[in-house]
Amino acid sequence: MRRRWFFLGGIFLFLLGLWVLEAGPADLVPSESGRVAAGEFLSASLSPAFDFQNPEMRGGESRFFEKLGRALWLTLRYAVVAMSLALILGVIGGVLGSRAWWSRPTLFLQTLRIGVRLLATAVRSVHELMWALLFLSAIGTSPFAAVCAMALPYGGTLAKVFSELLDEGESSAAEVIRAAGGGGFVAFITGVFTRALPDLATYALYRLECAIRSSAVLGFVGIPTLGYEIKTAYEDGHYREIWTYLYALLLLVVFFEWWGARVRSLLTHGVPARRSAENVGGNIAPLATLWKARGRSWFLRASVAFLLLGVTAGWLVEDQWGAGVSWEQRMKNLDRFTDEIVPHPVREAGGDWGEFGVWFMERMTERGAEALWQTFHLGTAAILLAGLVALMGVRFAARSLVSSSPRGVREGPSLFRKVIAMLLRGGSMLGRAMPEYILAFLLLRIFGPTVWALILALAIHNGGILLRLGAEVIDNTVSQASSVILAQGGSRTAAYFGALLPLGFNRLVLFLFYRWESCIREATVLGMLGVASLGFLISDAKVAFYYDEMLLWVGLGAALVFFGDLTSDIVRHRLRGQAESR
Amino acid sequence: MLQFQSVGLSYGATRALDAVDLRIEPGEQVCLIGPSGAGKSSLLGLMNGRLSASDGAVCLNGEDLGRLSGKSLKEARAGIAWVPQDLGLVPNLRVNQNIACGRAARKGLLGILKSLLVMGKGEKEEIAALLRRVGIEEKIFSRVDHLSGGQQQRVAIARALYQNPHIILADEPVSAVDPERAKSLVGLLTSLAREEEKTLVMSLHDVSLARRYFDRVIGMREGQIVMDGRPDEIGLEDLYRLD
Repeated sequence: MRRRWFFLGGIFLFLLGLWVLEAGPADLVPSESGRVAAGEFLSASLSPAFDFQNPEMRGGESRFFEKLGRALWLTLRYAVVAMSLALILGVIGGVLGSRAWWSRPTLFLQTLRIGVRLLATAVRSVHELMWALLFLSAIGTSPFAAVCAMALPYGGTLAKVFSELLDEGESSAAEVIRAAGGGGFVAFITGVFTRALPDLATYALYRLECAIRSSAVLGFVGIPTLGYEIKTAYEDGHYREIWTYLYALLLLVVFFEWWGARVRSLLTHGVPARRSAENVGGNIAPLATLWKARGRSWFLRASVAFLLLGVTAGWLVEDQWGAGVSWEQRMKNLDRFTDEIVPHPVREAGGDWGEFGVWFMERMTERGAEALWQTFHLGTAAILLAGLVALMGVRFAARSLVSSSPRGVREGPSLFRKVIAMLLRGGSMLGRAMPEYILAFLLLRIFGPTVWALILALAIHNGGILLRLGAEVIDNTVSQASSVILAQGGSRTAAYFGALLPLGFNRLVLFLFYRWESCIREATVLGMLGVASLGFLISDAKVAFYYDEMLLWVGLGAALVFFGDLTSDIVRHRLRGQAESR
Repeated sequence: MLQFQSVGLSYGATRALDAVDLRIEPGEQVCLIGPSGAGKSSLLGLMNGRLSASDGAVCLNGEDLGRLSGKSLKEARAGIAWVPQDLGLVPNLRVNQNIACGRAARKGLLGILKSLLVMGKGEKEEIAALLRRVGIEEKIFSRVDHLSGGQQQRVAIARALYQNPHIILADEPVSAVDPERAKSLVGLLTSLAREEEKTLVMSLHDVSLARRYFDRVIGMREGQIVMDGRPDEIGLEDLYRLD
């Protein structure tokens, strides 16, 4: 990767994006009323509510913390149940989409495998919020619709990533079993699947974290999770209540991040056996003693039990998955919806699809092409901003540069440096814990209806993720050159920019493209908050009950994400090759 | 008995083996030596039917391996163990679970799953006895990625023995270890194979190990056998022919 061209290209794309989105620097300064609202909102963060702000609600049948607990429980429950469905889809799709499964690929099986992977990519290209809109429009509001809306894209994502992990996990272990006469299925299960299991579980846990955030966001389309409470509290002007909900969401996500990290570490590294028990009086201990001394983790066992219990409870506790609406009524709704998603000129012409072309071109030239262009630039400008912030932040957050002996060269401690690093790492954790959609919703209230709110929301969340990944890359980069620079009296900044960044550059760009794909995906829905882009057209069409247009915009968004996904895959594949060859 | 009859093997335009004639008797300890790309791994790949000869025939006890398929090929392979260069272990499984995979052909899917999830006492004891012979009995319930490189090699050897094969094929199993450890591992594998009267075919780079531990040394170069004899018959001029 030619770094200079990459930087220049990035700056050009960022400025072009701001121009296309008409995001001027003046819009970054809130209006007078916006400043007052922002001040009130931010000062409420210091005194979150412990009771209803509305005095009429106090002393009623429902208590504030009951309401909070119910919203948290629903957020968690829908996430867990959706993930249980997504996991089934992910495992089936992941296995069928992996090269390792088809040991003797024929042309037909190759086509089938590629077909499964493309299907997984296509399903995940539609954002869960859009799936939710489609399901709610098709069959009405119900918990099952919410769960399916998350399970489908998450299943697609799991299938795509699982197939990649299974292919990476393929090793001579499977070949040894086949060579010893074992069947292909046995070789796959023991040599490939078992080997990849820690990575598969690790990724599934990460997706569970994401599902909790998504579940909260579904509240914005009427599902009674945390997002719903945040939205209604905002509409009522109850800022202190909002902060209580936000803190609860942060705690939930941070807890799951901590728990996931702990489980990940245990699965990847395992627990060593107690070596002291291996010998008794100079002799090897009996088998039973060795068995008792084997490495095992109660935390891991409890986690598995906790997850199984959570999934079972999540499914069983709900007695109204269909929200009490009869099957007949749902079928009627679905019939109406499937009728109305057919473009209206086609409907009026008695199903003649010859009319579709004119209708499609009209929609595209009127608003579609511009919205598509804006959505692309929204995602791209946001990720470039996030990348730039992370690139600078890594210098002050990477442990190997902050320590009193950076890169093994003694320099002496500095409290100031440690505090900055802690603040950056804490900010990064909060940024990535907060869903982009909720961040955008809150920032729009501060900045007013400007696209900057969306750019900043995407940049804060993704910047948090990139900062963490970037710091890990720099900490894991082996570089004698950086130590030499420091030992010769050079600064940490010189060691970072002069030695570490050039070495880790490809990996950092790889992560940037990985998040760019997610940014494009999120950008397609952020417009639903009222700022021009595809999301805006989607919510506009939904409000007007133009389901044919709504589906068109959803399809267009999916096509953009699909394009972003494939581009990102190709670039990352090339970059990974270059990074590994170094 | 393994027999190669005018065997050739091509990968596209590259000729990996050319007109190889070879006969290996039961219980023989054979070492293949030669530079990288000489065709040693290809020869081993043909011996357990992982590769198919482009011409000629590879016969195992009179049966042409190239003509076998499905169940009969699996049955033939069940009698041949293979220790690849990277050992082919599953790092996140315990030692006993890895060794149990040696009998994948006989156990089938359910049997293997049972061994992986709830291994019976009898099987544990059998594996422990095997590990005692390779000197790491106390590691039976350790994760493989918690073991040293040398211990992992012993696990791979134990897995091969657990398969109870007639023939053991080992493809440069000591290429990445220091000379002392290489000596001890080659010594261990050859002595175990001798004790159980198993055929052992191992490829190596180190001529001194080949001379010290094997009954027969086969030298290869550019896909052909250029030397075949007892270790004491190898002369300096033979070694020059390998370069």
